[in-house]
Amino acid sequence: MANARALDKRRKSIRNIKKITRTMELIATARFKKAMDRATAATDYTNRISGVVSDLARAGLEVTHPLLEAPEKSENAKLLVLTGNRGLCGGYNSNAIRLGVKTRDELIAAVPNVTLEVSGKRGISGFDFREIEVDEQFLQFDDQPKFTEVEVIANRYLQLYIEGKLDRLDVTYTKFHSVARQEIVNETLLPLGKLEGADTPVDPDAAAGREKLYEFVPSAESILEEVVPASFRIKLFKCFLDAAVSEQVARMIAMKSATEAANDMIKDLSRTYNRARQSQITGEIMEVIGGVEALEG
Amino acid sequence: MKIVIVTPETTTLDQEADFVVLPLFDGEAGFSPGHAPMIGRLGPGEIRVKSSGSQQSFYVDGGNVQIEGDVISVLTGSSTPAGEIDLAAAKEALSAAESMEAGTTILADSKRKAISQARAKIRVAEKAK
Repeated sequence: MANARALDKRRKSIRNIKKITRTMELIATARFKKAMDRATAATDYTNRISGVVSDLARAGLEVTHPLLEAPEKSENAKLLVLTGNRGLCGGYNSNAIRLGVKTRDELIAAVPNVTLEVSGKRGISGFDFREIEVDEQFLQFDDQPKFTEVEVIANRYLQLYIEGKLDRLDVTYTKFHSVARQEIVNETLLPLGKLEGADTPVDPDAAAGREKLYEFVPSAESILEEVVPASFRIKLFKCFLDAAVSEQVARMIAMKSATEAANDMIKDLSRTYNRARQSQITGEIMEVIGGVEALEG
Repeated sequence: MKIVIVTPETTTLDQEADFVVLPLFDGEAGFSPGHAPMIGRLGPGEIRVKSSGSQQSFYVDGGNVQIEGDVISVLTGSSTPAGEIDLAAAKEALSAAESMEAGTTILADSKRKAISQARAKIRVAEKAK
């Protein structure tokens, strides 16, 4: 039978680890709630932008913009992979890296010049390990990505796209559907494709100028020029937010199961420890009795 | 009349107002209750909200505004209360913008935009002091 004291020592260290994982779970839960609130606020903004777009479409404006249509050539593509800065969150990072590598291979097959940008320490070291060169890396995004920081990146992409130095932008990130479901996806953000709300049927009265839905200042086209880049920025921001929320959920779940595993181990070890202790005591009693009997004899 | 300022991060302002001044793309415009429905493009500048004697001031860096019913909703990338603007950072942004390249029309466009944003920010910040 194992040494009772060694068993007790192990049990103590597992108890300490359990305390840590339990705390990490609680922290992840708190961060998840905060990140979730931000994601909800961003959804409000997205909905309002879609509302403006659908109002423009209803007034008879054809929603067209260089950002919405695919450029004639496709020579330069860019892939952005969003991962976390920290580990201990289950398969969150490795899944993102795996899909990132796969998407990169597909892009390389289709487009001559592919650049790779990665956010998050884990992703950077993951690509480094696979000996894939990362052209640009970001470390500043944690559980609460700031819009001003994402905006800088978004504006850089927009600039490159307008100048014709970028023809396609893909983002690989973990999309958040619900607490129970997150999905690793790859989305093409540039060209933007269709704007939400652009399908709204034209109101014939408004289009013919018989009835004015809105006064457009200065003109519907000019507003569209503002709205389209804004919706790209918010879309990219939403990717960052989704990734942040998913990371916290993944960590929450990973730490929860770690805590449960620690509980099971403690139970098992306690049982073995008790048995070992009991048999030790029995052995000692036997010795004492033996000794007494020897004296009496 | 209600004014709502929404940024991607949060709803900065959601309150009743008597009179609102917005920085439209070509200059400021004031809005009283009962304005006709409108969608407008904003430039960088100051939003002033007057409500029951008090006045609040915000800097916005562009975006658009939708007026419908008795609600003015402003959609913008960032809005900062005028008193909280970092003047030194804004001045730095201006000098950075002024040294931007302007070789092509596209570059010149973004340079002009960056300069006007930085200038508007400095203007709003200095006014708030």
